[in-house]
Amino acid sequence: MIKATASPDTSTVQAAADLDAAITGIEHRLAAWAAETGTALAALSTKVTGTAVDKLIRPAVEELVRTPGGYIAGAGFLANAGLLRPERSYIAWWQGEELEHVDALANFSPNSISRYVKSEWFRVPVDTGQAHVTGPYVDFLCTDEYVLTFTHPVFCRADGPVSGIVGMDVTVQRLERGALPTLRRIGDRATLVNADGRAIVSAAPDIAAGDLAAAEEGCSVFPVGRKFRIWSGAEAL
Amino acid sequence: MLLTPQGASRSLAAVFTPIKSRGLVDEVCGRIEQAVETGLLTSGQRLPNETELAAALGVSAVTAREALSQLRTSGIIRTARGRSGGSFIADDVLPSRERALDQLRELTRLQISDLGLHYQTIAAACASVAARRSDAADMATLRSFILTAEADPLHWRLALSEFLLEVAAIARSARLARELIRLQADLGTLTLLPCADSGYRLTTAGLLEDVAAAVEAHQPAAAEAAVKALVAATTDWLLNEQSKLY
Repeated sequence: MIKATASPDTSTVQAAADLDAAITGIEHRLAAWAAETGTALAALSTKVTGTAVDKLIRPAVEELVRTPGGYIAGAGFLANAGLLRPERSYIAWWQGEELEHVDALANFSPNSISRYVKSEWFRVPVDTGQAHVTGPYVDFLCTDEYVLTFTHPVFCRADGPVSGIVGMDVTVQRLERGALPTLRRIGDRATLVNADGRAIVSAAPDIAAGDLAAAEEGCSVFPVGRKFRIWSGAEAL
Repeated sequence: MLLTPQGASRSLAAVFTPIKSRGLVDEVCGRIEQAVETGLLTSGQRLPNETELAAALGVSAVTAREALSQLRTSGIIRTARGRSGGSFIADDVLPSRERALDQLRELTRLQISDLGLHYQTIAAACASVAARRSDAADMATLRSFILTAEADPLHWRLALSEFLLEVAAIARSARLARELIRLQADLGTLTLLPCADSGYRLTTAGLLEDVAAAVEAHQPAAAEAAVKALVAATTDWLLNEQSKLY
């Protein structure tokens, strides 16, 4: 099974670059949205309210989820404690073509923040002030699907605390449709994995999404976005 | 094997079964009850008004009003007039032991054991796949749902259902996870009853540890057996308790 691909050919490199561009595109879009959201929140002359947040976020989500052939299944903003009220969170998140409002009841809960503080996709960007990608994981809160969640901290002031996070959900199912033909161009065992080496999409029939995999000896490794990699050849663990 | 018309008739029958819709109002009520059950909304807390509720859940104001009225009738919310008025979650409303006992009385032995069998099957499938796919971070999350047997019944019950959902999450199967959520909803408040029994809590604490150990050690067969024993502990308790009710 070991392939001597010390210097991958041009079409392989191009295929890897295509997949990297798709994921990097999502990450850049998110970073730009985080910056816009921070500026818009800072510009609100009055106290930040739920209605104001909804008005700001919903049009952006609508554009994201309705992009034809796009990867985004749902997106939104989650206020950190303190932005609206102390110890309270606020969720403005929608999913699907129909823009279904996710977890809306949580906004009326006195302990709404407790619902999110432990979630990796909320905790990591808030704690580190850096963009993060969670998953793939089964998302019980929104989609009940196997997803990747890209999140980015939002700052109202450059030196201020994290005001909240913006995020986008990409279902593994959608990603597979887009990524599988590209992976096949790289090799019949080419696999897109997350930072833990868990398969997201694989050209190998015996590696399912969610399986832990290992890189075959001597295979090529291509970075995809900030955290993922393509192994030109992978084996099931 | 060829599918004869007779052979296919059973699956076809399912296609032509009338679709029962709970209706939008029931759906809204169900959501609020669920939110109370899971502790998202708590006794004495003010509920959003009709307009806010309608906007949040994406239903019409009429539907929201009807839902609030239905919740009032069933005693889940109370309404106060005047300046500090509004709708509030009633005191000591849910989850209630009385309600759970009523539910247990209504069920037949057949229903309980059949539900248990279904629950066991789904949970076992989750456990088996989880044992293949678990990593260190998964195990830390899973173990965070194992409480000591001294924990109060409400926390115990919540932790128990979260534990099994986490097993499904480690298996990384969205379909199995959704099925598990449905089954837990079918069991409803019933699981409150065994959780109030310290003997049951002690037994299940050991079984939870067995499941976690097998999932961690990547032993699918052992994980499956342990999770089946865990579900059986609940079903057996309920069957035993039900026989006392008559």
